[in-house]
Amino acid sequence: MIAVAAMARRLFAAFGLAAGVLMAGGSEAEPLIAVVSQQAGVVTLIDVGKATVVTEIPVPRVPAGLAAAPDGRMLYVTHPDLGLVSRLDLASRRVEASFRVGREPFGIAVTEAGRTLLVSDWSADALIRVDAATGRETGRVGIGRAPAGLVVDAADRRAYVADRESNQVSVVDLAAMTRVAAVPTGKAPFALALSPEGGALYVGNVQSGDLSVIATDRLEETSRFKIGLMPYGVAVTPDGSRVLVSNQQSGTLAVVDPTSHAIVASPKIGAYPEGLVALAQGRAAAVAWAEDKVMIIDIAQSRVVAQVPVGAGPRSLVALPDP
Amino acid sequence: MFERLMLAFAFVLMGLAPLAAHGPTPQRAEERVTIAAAPDKVWALLARFGGIGDWNPLVKKVSVTGGDAAGAERVLTLEKGEIAEGLDEVDPTARRLSYRLLKENVEAFPVSFYTATIEVKPSGSGSEVVWDARFYRADTTNEPPEGLDDAAAIAAMGDFIRQGLEGLKSQANGQ
Repeated sequence: MIAVAAMARRLFAAFGLAAGVLMAGGSEAEPLIAVVSQQAGVVTLIDVGKATVVTEIPVPRVPAGLAAAPDGRMLYVTHPDLGLVSRLDLASRRVEASFRVGREPFGIAVTEAGRTLLVSDWSADALIRVDAATGRETGRVGIGRAPAGLVVDAADRRAYVADRESNQVSVVDLAAMTRVAAVPTGKAPFALALSPEGGALYVGNVQSGDLSVIATDRLEETSRFKIGLMPYGVAVTPDGSRVLVSNQQSGTLAVVDPTSHAIVASPKIGAYPEGLVALAQGRAAAVAWAEDKVMIIDIAQSRVVAQVPVGAGPRSLVALPDP
Repeated sequence: MFERLMLAFAFVLMGLAPLAAHGPTPQRAEERVTIAAAPDKVWALLARFGGIGDWNPLVKKVSVTGGDAAGAERVLTLEKGEIAEGLDEVDPTARRLSYRLLKENVEAFPVSFYTATIEVKPSGSGSEVVWDARFYRADTTNEPPEGLDDAAAIAAMGDFIRQGLEGLKSQANGQ
């Protein structure tokens, strides 16, 4: 009897979650974000508006990067120490499958309407293409050393990968799976983000503490300026009006005017902030790695408006896309 | 040693600094100690970037360039070799400083990269010192041998901080 009741509750909760995901783009629904906690080995879903944990999903050891399918139903998580990528089904709230991918899979992106994964391999110095359904490798291209963060343009035409120890961004043509350029940056590029229209790529250089701006038409670095200590997260607001950078060692969020490159605000956002995501309604969310929290930030007010405790060692996070 | 010098020299010739290589899984250390001495007195000891050899018993010798301001560098001689650190940020008002490993030497200290922050806070009539670090094991591949793994890095960093804080406490209270 108790078991049946528990199961009914679980089913209801799962349904509630699925409904929440489906309504994420609606006017009254609040966005959900998914957070990877590396030490705890969990993925936490957070309701941004309520600043509450919706659910916590156990995953294999030492998860690092994550990406969401465009329908918001699947999450993919990398486990560099295990050489694995896990697929999480958000309706059932469990790891559905784990695939062997490369040697140290780290950064990840979902392309082609959810059919394909792109994974950066930290120790094989490659970008690997994977069938999202089977986990089979369908292509790879050699890039620079220790590739970390990666982004894909809206047309799925190109991937940009931060080659951390080669101090460059590799630009990969996805149709041909060939590298078309390697654009020099500051020292140790890690995270990167595209402007909404795709014309500018912002790259955080961890060791030199600056931000590179790359023009995607010319594939050249057009500007580089000081941003803070150990910039580990980069995001652009949906309207393109602000570039956000989490400075891990300074514990600050640099709020940047993309036209003048002025840092217009620099609020404290917790101890060792890393992964960062810009959200609708003028908000952003960042992990505070050393505090085991996700900070919800109001960008205009330039302050943390809510804190959500998560599992130990949060690294990266992603907004679940509108279905 | 000679080989290492030649290698360092080669890097200088090539105009390349060897980047502190590190893999994707960081570790964390945080230790704190309360000290009877006033915060300004404790901070005066900490703020001298080249002064760490006076209070951390694991540091045999220090040579510093660039004084006590952001950008300063120090070479620490430990029991089994040298490592170099760079001062990133000093905030005298908050009595806080942040620094990082510039040049690894995993034989001397089995950590491939770290950043660390030390802060002195008022606590009653005395001080509380909080020292935290974020770091990576010496061998960042997926099968690190014993001594170069996460456990070794955690032990070494924890020991360095704990002995440092105890030494800082004796030094501050003894003056």
